[in-house]
Amino acid sequence: MIEHLLDLTVSAFLLAGLYATMAYGLGLIYGVLRVVNLNHGGMIMAGAYAAWWAHDQFGLDPYLSIPIILVLAFLVGVLTYAGLVRRLPRGAAGGVQSLLLLFGVWLILRNAAYLVFSGNDQTVLTSYSTKALPFLGAQISVNRLAVFGVALVTLGALHLFLTRTYVGKAIRAVAQNPESCTLAGVPVQRIYMLTFGLGTALASLAGALATGLYAFNPGFGATELLKSFVVVVLGGLGSVAGTAVAALILALVENFSILVIPSYLTSAVGFVLLVLVLVLRPGGLFGQRVLG
Amino acid sequence: MTALLEVRGVDAGYGDVQVLFGVSLQVREGEIVTLLGSNGAGKTTTLRCICGLISPRKGEVLFHGESLAAVAPDHRAGLGIALVPEGRELWPQLTVRENLELGAYHRRARRSLSKNLDRVQALFPRLLERKSQLAGSLSGGEQQMCAIARALMSDPKLLLLDEPSLGLAPIVVDQMFEAVRQLHREGMTLLLVEQNLVAALEIATRGYVVETGRVRLEGEAAALRSDPGIRAAYLGI
Ligand SMILES: Nc1ncnc2c1ncn2[C@@H]1O[C@H](COP(=O)(O)OP(=O)(O)OP(=O)(O)O)[C@@H](O)[C@H]1O
Ligand SMILES: [Mg+2]
Repeated sequence: MIEHLLDLTVSAFLLAGLYATMAYGLGLIYGVLRVVNLNHGGMIMAGAYAAWWAHDQFGLDPYLSIPIILVLAFLVGVLTYAGLVRRLPRGAAGGVQSLLLLFGVWLILRNAAYLVFSGNDQTVLTSYSTKALPFLGAQISVNRLAVFGVALVTLGALHLFLTRTYVGKAIRAVAQNPESCTLAGVPVQRIYMLTFGLGTALASLAGALATGLYAFNPGFGATELLKSFVVVVLGGLGSVAGTAVAALILALVENFSILVIPSYLTSAVGFVLLVLVLVLRPGGLFGQRVLG
Repeated sequence: MTALLEVRGVDAGYGDVQVLFGVSLQVREGEIVTLLGSNGAGKTTTLRCICGLISPRKGEVLFHGESLAAVAPDHRAGLGIALVPEGRELWPQLTVRENLELGAYHRRARRSLSKNLDRVQALFPRLLERKSQLAGSLSGGEQQMCAIARALMSDPKLLLLDEPSLGLAPIVVDQMFEAVRQLHREGMTLLLVEQNLVAALEIATRGYVVETGRVRLEGEAAALRSDPGIRAAYLGI
């Protein structure tokens, strides 16, 4: 029994890496642009298919295709911003327009994927897909470890970027007061574009990483988007530490819920958590801090 | 001699509401010019036109004798125009240090970052003690100093101050005006919006009085101080 609990805890920690990666991009875009990027789900799906396709066509290892996928998704994000999001009103007044627009983009992506790849479930099988390593008496799959490692490095790098570089600080400043940024000479539109690109790249990264853990089809990304919402609401906007802790909470609650409820209900657990937080702590566990 | 800043016959407003009606004013190098007027007269709107946050509907703003019409607002800091906005508008969840660094975002200022940091810290030693604190946690007076310091970090030739004394304790107001005087002694050119007429006219070279979006009076500060109309309308004497 103890061993089983340990297993669940370790696997929750590893899963939290993926959840945090997934959620961070959504929170970053909302924190800086006040736009809920519903196409986050679409880009998670696209990232998964990109990794699968590169592996299927060229035998490229998913972890090696990640850099290319990041660059491409970043460009997709930049274009989405420059071509669509930029033209819409934002914030409280314009929330609905951008919500609908980005939902539309997601639907288009999803249907394109149905057309091109059919609705069949896909998996990425590599030589190490079924390998596991012993850890504290438990067996941990190599893929789970790798996903966790990549997530950790990515979030660490993002944290350094946002706190140590001029551009990163400008991104946080734009989130807090864009007009003051304009006055200081910060090109605010370019910061918005960069942020949208970064958030989109993170979504695709989460999708690519997920191929090591799950089978997927063009509908993939919907549950992931909802889980991202849970993490963002729990963890606050753009705080790397808050996101990490929230992702861990979600993963732990999900994992341990199988002790008390049937496993097909696990994904509902996150939403119960979301509702509880919204009712009990409307500001989220970490308050309203934006990219502090 | 051409003025450093010239606002020439500017009409401006928000949506359907026109706020400024043919406002003209000049600031020459080395001057402190004060822009006076009661609530809603259009002082902030005038400063926003100068910074490009809103565009004039008519008339133009010239800097060094050249029109700013084609200069985007985020390029004006690079030219040497800095605004300390009404209500400070700091980045509250960044540290004081980060606020100052970002004040020097444009290329020219970034090159002289450390020199300017030393300079603003000499002007406001308090900020040095507070440099790792979040700007939002500072007291009102410290926030105002941080806002001025942030604007100075952009290495401006013209500093626009929008009611820097607003909401501050009298002793802090004195420190504020002393800092403005000090900047002027160091050669800074300033356009100071104030409701505190007495203090503003005491340190200013010249002044303009705006009422409902029109310049009603202008002249040397000393002349305005003794103007019977002003004394009656604004000083209650
Ligand atoms: N964003 C806005 N939208 C619409 N009207 C505005 C806006 N900002 C200011 N106004 C209006 O423009 C007029 C002039 O405002 P402005 O802020 O320039 O006055 P001010 O002289 O700075 O006053 P105060 O001393 O109160 O700061 C006011 O009637 C105000 O209601
Ligand atoms: Mg004002």
